[in-house]
Amino acid sequence: MSTDDSATRLARARAALASVHQKVGVERVPDEAPALPLADALGSLLPQGLRRGQVVSVEGATSLMLALGAEASANGSWTAIVGLPRVGVVAAARRGIELSRLALMPHPGVQAAQVVGACVDGMDVVMLGPRLALSHADRRRLASRARERGSVLLVAEPWDGANVSLKVESSHWRGLGSGDGRLREREMTVVVGGRSQGSRRRVNVTLDLDPGVAWSRPGARTVIDEEVA
Amino acid sequence: MSTRADVPRGVGQVTVSTVRRAVLWVPDWPVAAAMTAAGLGSEVPAAVLHGRGMVAVSAAARAAGVKRGMRKRLAQRACPELEILPYDEGRDSREFEAVAAAAERVVAGVEVSRPGLLMIPADGAARFHGSEEALAEALVESIADYAGYECSVGAADGLLAAIVAARNSALVPVGGSADYLASLPIDTLVLAAMERQHREAVEDLAGVLSRLGLYSLHDFTALPSADVLARFGPAGMWAYRIGRGEDVRPPVLRRSEDDIAVEYVFEEPAQRVEQLALVAAHVAGQLDVTLLEAGVRCGRVCIAARTERGDSLERVWRTDVGSRSGAFAKHMADRVRWQLEGWLSGTSQGPEPAPLVSLTVTAQDVIALGSEQAYLWGGVSGADARAHRTLERIQGLIGADGVLSVREQGGRDPRDRVLTLPWGQESAPSRRIEHPWPGRIPDPAPATVLVTPQPLALLDAGGQPVTVDRRLGMSAPPTWVRLPVDPRDERMATARRHPSSGHVGDVGEPSWGLPQPIESWAGPWPVVERWWAPDSTRGAYVQIAVREGPAVLASFSGGAWALEAVYD
Repeated sequence: MSTDDSATRLARARAALASVHQKVGVERVPDEAPALPLADALGSLLPQGLRRGQVVSVEGATSLMLALGAEASANGSWTAIVGLPRVGVVAAARRGIELSRLALMPHPGVQAAQVVGACVDGMDVVMLGPRLALSHADRRRLASRARERGSVLLVAEPWDGANVSLKVESSHWRGLGSGDGRLREREMTVVVGGRSQGSRRRVNVTLDLDPGVAWSRPGARTVIDEEVA
Repeated sequence: MSTRADVPRGVGQVTVSTVRRAVLWVPDWPVAAAMTAAGLGSEVPAAVLHGRGMVAVSAAARAAGVKRGMRKRLAQRACPELEILPYDEGRDSREFEAVAAAAERVVAGVEVSRPGLLMIPADGAARFHGSEEALAEALVESIADYAGYECSVGAADGLLAAIVAARNSALVPVGGSADYLASLPIDTLVLAAMERQHREAVEDLAGVLSRLGLYSLHDFTALPSADVLARFGPAGMWAYRIGRGEDVRPPVLRRSEDDIAVEYVFEEPAQRVEQLALVAAHVAGQLDVTLLEAGVRCGRVCIAARTERGDSLERVWRTDVGSRSGAFAKHMADRVRWQLEGWLSGTSQGPEPAPLVSLTVTAQDVIALGSEQAYLWGGVSGADARAHRTLERIQGLIGADGVLSVREQGGRDPRDRVLTLPWGQESAPSRRIEHPWPGRIPDPAPATVLVTPQPLALLDAGGQPVTVDRRLGMSAPPTWVRLPVDPRDERMATARRHPSSGHVGDVGEPSWGLPQPIESWAGPWPVVERWWAPDSTRGAYVQIAVREGPAVLASFSGGAWALEAVYD
């Protein structure tokens, strides 16, 4: 009798606690936006995925920016690249960006704010180059518009209030020797920070993984080349 | 012959359904077309040369002893006054249009099997004209009157019998095709092959069969069909069915329809874009109305403008008419305006700007309303339509050339491997991606490709510039690389311009950054392109990795190094 009594009392107490939690808001139900698909290799950079409506600033590596948008593009998203006249289209294609769903606006000029605004409305992933003619007010407006529309802004420069900011500290290429070999594999050290991250942390990412490199010393003359074999 | 027909056929014998057809054949079509194009009379001995041999010989040349397949020199020895004409498939098809049009005056629908050969389902046409003889007579007359060619007409059941009948001007009675074919030699099969590759395959097959001792079609078709399929595969089976007088497919009749096009002729040549914008809207509206009246829609629109000087400017634009039912006219008007603006302002390539005399808008890829084909896995998604609309809106903001679509194409250096076009415009890449492109810079591709190469200094351990000689020898292993300071970074540029930073010379020259130590490098890889043309390039490429920094691709040509791309 006494055990049954204690069990019901416990249940009642838990229900009361839960209702208080809900009222006060200790345990908030996370209403996070859905995430766009992301390559597995980049999971360590963005553990919670590439959330729609976020601004991610990527400093120091165009290829990292392309890699972030690649998986989404391969799965049917539309991509716009604004203000990056020097972007390597072949690199984008090799990373998995579908070129038929890619539009380039290399020189938006003084109408950058309108162009980026339109892209945020209509495209899923918008990559912005450095030094666009955007004021602080424009940037705030664009970020809130992206949040509302559920598109992702990848920016190649520091951005105030970016959800995630990635800064490439160093990158190390393997595969070259002294006059022989070719570029094969790259490791990057990326500092991850930003508003929706906790403390800043350093992450090592291998972007271009080449199975041939593991077979040999980098740069050695006895490279087992998969093209020759 | 009749005894042969009584011999029982192979095991796979079934009754076959064939279409009674009349075939119209113009002898030696390639040479007849070439002579018309060259303006020669029929009495001139002429032949068409393709590759190493004659592919077609005119009657006069044949009388002089020239034969098909003869080498040029042999043919000229047989007939010194022989006119040798070049081979051109396009011309053959073009000239044959006149013959097809003349035939269409007599019958309702024709199939152009190949230039020189027309196929007509005979049943209805013969009933209309009274008899097959009357039909044949009408056809020959019409071709002679309106196209000016001699031709012969035959009729039979099945494809091969009809073609052979046309060459003999024979009318094979109904049901008589099998007997008609039975005694013919085995290489008659080649006549039924329409494409060149197919013809070569059938020629090979005929050669094999005659070496096996099967000289006539009857010998071949008496074999069991399963054995033919097992031994000779699909090509053999095709020949087997054709040889038995069967039809492989029914004739596909073409429907002659005029292009849906709207032309506007300016009363006086127009030069200003404002003038053209109104006309563009008017023309686009008219095209919309015309399409609607015809009950069709189009997938592409070709906009052509003719200038006073006789040049024409033509571009094809993709449209998704379905996604903008009411806005077609405005959409097209924008396209016309962009194209002409770009051209009149001289920013886009084309003939020299001149006042326009006419503007034509032609609908291409025309399909009946409601019969358009959606994607395999469902229609155009909402996101796709939204993205298209967005890009068109941005084109309205910053101009058609501001929004680019990109495609990969063949090439060696990273800049050549990309084809950019204004969004929505169509054009085929001129550099085929599937060609081998030896000497291509190996993957991975650089993520930053400079639009124009920047100067770069490559120094050896002693600080001397490194050079590459004609035999691809480096003067010394490169140890330092210096890049110019980003000119937009004014503070840095000014600081590095001071003589204490090693800057010498003019202030306008690029100021160089600090030399960075090279960790590793590879090259030089020679690339020599188009050495036969005035725009030839000759250079060598080097990949350089700097400690802790991105790798770069540098090129050496004309005694100077240039930064081509950055692997950042």
